[in-house]
Amino acid sequence: MYLRLATILTISLLLLTSCGGGGSSGSGTPPPPGGGGGGGGPTDPVISVAEAHRFLRQASFGPTPTEVEKVRDIGFEAWIDQQLLEPVSLQLPYMDDLPEPENSREGQTNRLDAWFQNVLNGKDQLRQRVAFALSEIIVISDQGNLFNFPNGLADYYDKLAINAFANYPDLLKTVTLTPAMGRYLSMLGNQKPDKAKNIRPDENYAREVMQLFSIGLVMLNKDGSVVLDQDNQPIPTYDQAVIEAFAHVFTGWTFYGSEAFNRPSYIFRAPMVAFQAYHDEGEKRLLNDVILPAGQSAEDDLDAALGNITNHANVPPFISRQLIQRLVTANPSPDYIERVADVFIDDGFGTRGNLGAVVKTILLDPDARAEPTDDTSGKLTEPLLRLTAIWRVFNASAESDRYLFAFPEYSFSQAPLRADSVFNFFRPDFAPTGEIGKLGLVSPEMQITNETTSVLVNNYLALVIFLQHSSVTEKEVDTIYINIDAELAIADQPEALVDQVAEKLLGGNISDALRAESLAMMQRWDSQEGKVAETIYTIATSPEFAVLP
Amino acid sequence: MHRRDFLKLSAALSALGLIGGPGMIPAARSADFSDYKCLVNVFLLGGNDSFNMLVPRSDAEYSIYAASRQNLAIPQGDLLPISPLNSDGSLYGLHPMASGLQSLFETGDLAIVSNVGPLLEPTSKDDYLNGTTNLPPQLFSHNDQQNQWQSLRGTHSLSTGWAGRIADLLAEDLSGQLLPTNISTSGNSRFQAAETSSPYTVNNNGASSYAAFRRGAEFGVERRASFEQQLANGYGNIHSRALAEVHTRSLQYADLVNEALTLVPELNTAFPDTRLGRRLRIVARLLAVKDEFEVNRQIFYITAIGFDTHDNQNQDQPNLLLDLGDCLQAFQTAMAEIGLENQVTTFTQSDFGRNLTSNGDGTDHGWGAHQLVSGGAVMGRQIYGTMPVLEIDGPDDVAGGRVIPTQSADQYAATLATWFGIPESNLNEIAPSLPAFNLRNLGFMT
Repeated sequence: MYLRLATILTISLLLLTSCGGGGSSGSGTPPPPGGGGGGGGPTDPVISVAEAHRFLRQASFGPTPTEVEKVRDIGFEAWIDQQLLEPVSLQLPYMDDLPEPENSREGQTNRLDAWFQNVLNGKDQLRQRVAFALSEIIVISDQGNLFNFPNGLADYYDKLAINAFANYPDLLKTVTLTPAMGRYLSMLGNQKPDKAKNIRPDENYAREVMQLFSIGLVMLNKDGSVVLDQDNQPIPTYDQAVIEAFAHVFTGWTFYGSEAFNRPSYIFRAPMVAFQAYHDEGEKRLLNDVILPAGQSAEDDLDAALGNITNHANVPPFISRQLIQRLVTANPSPDYIERVADVFIDDGFGTRGNLGAVVKTILLDPDARAEPTDDTSGKLTEPLLRLTAIWRVFNASAESDRYLFAFPEYSFSQAPLRADSVFNFFRPDFAPTGEIGKLGLVSPEMQITNETTSVLVNNYLALVIFLQHSSVTEKEVDTIYINIDAELAIADQPEALVDQVAEKLLGGNISDALRAESLAMMQRWDSQEGKVAETIYTIATSPEFAVLP
Repeated sequence: MHRRDFLKLSAALSALGLIGGPGMIPAARSADFSDYKCLVNVFLLGGNDSFNMLVPRSDAEYSIYAASRQNLAIPQGDLLPISPLNSDGSLYGLHPMASGLQSLFETGDLAIVSNVGPLLEPTSKDDYLNGTTNLPPQLFSHNDQQNQWQSLRGTHSLSTGWAGRIADLLAEDLSGQLLPTNISTSGNSRFQAAETSSPYTVNNNGASSYAAFRRGAEFGVERRASFEQQLANGYGNIHSRALAEVHTRSLQYADLVNEALTLVPELNTAFPDTRLGRRLRIVARLLAVKDEFEVNRQIFYITAIGFDTHDNQNQDQPNLLLDLGDCLQAFQTAMAEIGLENQVTTFTQSDFGRNLTSNGDGTDHGWGAHQLVSGGAVMGRQIYGTMPVLEIDGPDDVAGGRVIPTQSADQYAATLATWFGIPESNLNEIAPSLPAFNLRNLGFMT
């Protein structure tokens, strides 16, 4: 053990000098000083299957044996660096190649097909994973006034993917001017006040862009903790007057190509444009008493106002915490949040909000890489991501090469861009009744976990695993089947089979109890398919698999 | 929050055991819970524009309303007239699509509680503008104000909801119930969050049951036993344990619920085939077989969506109010069908009212709003509380057409809780801001 540790440290130090960063995180090995806590290198023997597996559950839509070996081979940091350069997989081009949908529902199903194509088979796994996280922070939804515009939603999602590693200020401006967002939060068509008619600017986007997309409701310290006043009360980040000022900023915008402000073109694929005559030109008092002078153009007001938001001190901890929660753990320590927020503030090259650097920091942080030591670590994996993990590791596909799954939300309580409201499927501060709440901790994904939904997830996984696998004899052209050939090959070796499935789904981190139950259940079957399906089912529906430790 | 008032309130709450260490809830109860009562919370997500739901018909008041609402105003002649037993001298009407509400009101099964909202103490416009009053934090924000209505937390970091606190408070009295006191058709809510009494969620047809555990499924019985063994073994991570607790309740209650529902597969009363209608229908069916659950007190939570009418209000609101009226009317009819019309009380809550001005084709977030209470135990066909003056910059408008509530969400909840059987001595735990108000009961319940 001593020798092994020494070797690890030596290699790590060598890497530090040669690559200027990185490090290692062998189990029980403290990260080297100055290192990111992750990393590894071309010949680094440190990363175990379990460690690579856990990393890929954080950084992708599910580990596959190939990616696990790749991470072990090149190390965490190099894997991330490669991912940062991977070209983006988009939805719209794919949808454009499909036959014209007959109705909006079919169009929405095509949109989900595009999403599944990219998250299951796209090489840009990290980018897609971050885009999905962003889609749950900067939310639009097809539930409501975007239902008839699947292409508009896809365009929005593509913007999230394109900007997943861009700078946050650029991302915020892009989403602000995307027509789907404009329509969803009614900035599109919002016009200057008409006092005679008691018409005032719409406050919808003004409110939510601050409350949900950037700074939140109360002043935060850099480590994400709430600033309290002398009465022990939180300090609001803004008041109603500031919302109204931003509502005035966001006036005058509509679809590109509109003949007139009130004759919308419904062109969703180009950023919104301004009609100055409908823009309020009055003075506006924004956050921190910054004043926009009267008489500015809609474009100048927008740029200045978004700059006012993105420069607010809350943005780094507010966004960093939520990204950590989406990728790594429900309850990041204040130090973890601060380390990420520091990179958000300055990526080392003077850039604020470099999301690529932020994501890399989140994933290489010691808190993400070190072996979990207490029972509050990690998070409940989002239900839909349990499905993608299973589909990825068992190479799910349909003969038609489509992923036609119209209503994932029925079984998984979520689907891409399909939340009930701008408040997403769950809130970052949700705590269920019981020990989590009593400890002052949160478990956001528990908000969509109840006695109904937990069963529905289980039932869908049972369907996929027992009835939609490669040994089914009469296949449907559009049904998605998992490939269990590798498991069938060892179906007569119970221990080997259980261990292989446990490695695929849990990185080998299976409890003795679950292993025993899996073995006992699968051995009830005579058929090879039965043995394999039962093994996968037992592990895939266990509360162990549901949690990313 | 002003320090002196905060300290005063803190001391009061602390004395009640509401904040501060363990030993939270005093045990002084003398009520009898051997009868049956049920509360049904229909939460209108997004913020119902109730100032277009109940509208003055008298010329003077209508013209003020129409001047404020402009292109969103309901034409005076289209309003459905109502004839309240009490009168403030004005005539009132309901939205033309709310015929279900009109019918419930006129037959005495519906009361309207006027201009309710989250408040920490009675608040005048001057108080608000001069900052001389304590206010609930984050007024006009959706999730914060939903949280206020559901938790009544005021400025305290209270993670429980008022239905959750009722369930905890009555846990001992109701320990013989075979189902949790709180049941949701709409997933998890702050309203039903408790210290210890976990709520229970059903779907539109009853309890979800595990396909893989069915008796007909190969090894279904063994698979269930295996899963139960896993759950019993426990988990080394809090998130796994939380999920396991949910599964444990699913397994515990599903058969009971579904077998009971086979006794009453269908009611005679037809419900609208809408999201809200389907949810109210399953509540009605569960109530029809309530004896199977040996329950004396139940609280249901149901959400209706779509009320955040920032745009297209003139197109969307008619359907919302049509559906709401038809659904509440069907539910009341169903309660009469199963003989529970006097034991089940349905009430609305919503994020907030909407502001009186138009943003072109919709409305923004307001504060006070009218709420609906229906059932045989309601002193119906009355409007409770003072109707606000619907005038921009008028006496009830704090700015931009946001109307100050004149009755608090705490008073509203306390009135319902009192009917439910919560003793007077426990009301302040349920509604923490109640001590700030003279009137502890708004009088709309028998």
